[in-house]
Amino acid sequence: MERKPAWLKVSYNQGAVDEIAQLMRELNLNTVCREADCPNIGECYRKHTATFMILGSRCTRNCRFCNVRCGAPAEVDPEEPANVARAAKALRLRHAVVTSVTRDDLPDGGAAHFAGVVRAIREACPGTTVEVLIPDLKGDEKSLDIVLAARPDVLNHNMETVRELYAAVRPEAAYARSLGVLRYAKKARPDSLTKTGFMVGLGETDDQIGRLMDDVLATGCDILTIGQYLRPSPEHAPLARYATPEDFDRYRDLALQKGFKHVASAPLARSSYRAHEALEAVRAESGRPS
Amino acid sequence: MKQQILMPKLRPGMEKGVLCAWSVRPGERVEKGDVLFEVETDKVVSQIEADDSGIVSGFLADEGDEVAVGQPVATLETEQ
Repeated sequence: MERKPAWLKVSYNQGAVDEIAQLMRELNLNTVCREADCPNIGECYRKHTATFMILGSRCTRNCRFCNVRCGAPAEVDPEEPANVARAAKALRLRHAVVTSVTRDDLPDGGAAHFAGVVRAIREACPGTTVEVLIPDLKGDEKSLDIVLAARPDVLNHNMETVRELYAAVRPEAAYARSLGVLRYAKKARPDSLTKTGFMVGLGETDDQIGRLMDDVLATGCDILTIGQYLRPSPEHAPLARYATPEDFDRYRDLALQKGFKHVASAPLARSSYRAHEALEAVRAESGRPS
Repeated sequence: MKQQILMPKLRPGMEKGVLCAWSVRPGERVEKGDVLFEVETDKVVSQIEADDSGIVSGFLADEGDEVAVGQPVATLETEQ
């Protein structure tokens, strides 16, 4: 195994991980922390935060960077919205982040289920803000309207990589379609925040990164996350490079200079990592209450 | 009470882990949350924290060893 750079060290506490894992098991829930093999699981679970992954644990797409398994999708669990709300309440989440596998088999891509989860959290945890990290819903505006009608505080859709690498890394997605999701969400609900993220280390150039930032910013996107691609296994897309912490500082400065309201850029930054801090920072700057 | 410290399952499907470095020495006292050892996986190096306080009474694996998930790597003498 190739030696990891010194900055790719994370803490892991088995007791904390077991505690959250048990809660999720009892409520028949999945987290992207576990399914995507997130390196931050130890830190987040110890802080009693987790990102829910709804609509099953099998994805209908097979992105080359992602550890979530592709396979026959599960039946949609009608109890899931209530169970996510129970877990959010048990964990006393101030900010709940909900993502899903991609469900191209469902006519609305799972949009109504997303909306049900947002509403269930709102009902059970009135003070909790909600962020949805959605798949592209095939770019269908009606499906997006269904999610947006539930009024999530943040609508996040990850670009994941630069335009030039879509065919190799996200072969079943489309760069323009993902930009369209962000653009439509901002146009339909200008008062809610939009957010996206991408990885470095897949073979992109700095020029391509700059163009990606420009394209995303042109959709009106507020928040950007940039993190290191970490290859889940030898079967996944190869790692082209480890960007240094100084590289990430440079990307953050560039993104802020271009006009993003908040940028989280670090080797282990992930789209939902410290998501509440990003929301609070943007709201504080715009003078809106948390 | 003697307690075994086990190789954790850091990710789904993990069967073995490489113990790449010890962060403590035999006979050293550790507090809950202190880093005991490091395990390298495909993505990162995980610093494994103690679940209890006590004295590390012995190593059962060396740096560089590949250890099966759930197998003991050290013993810890706790006060309870």
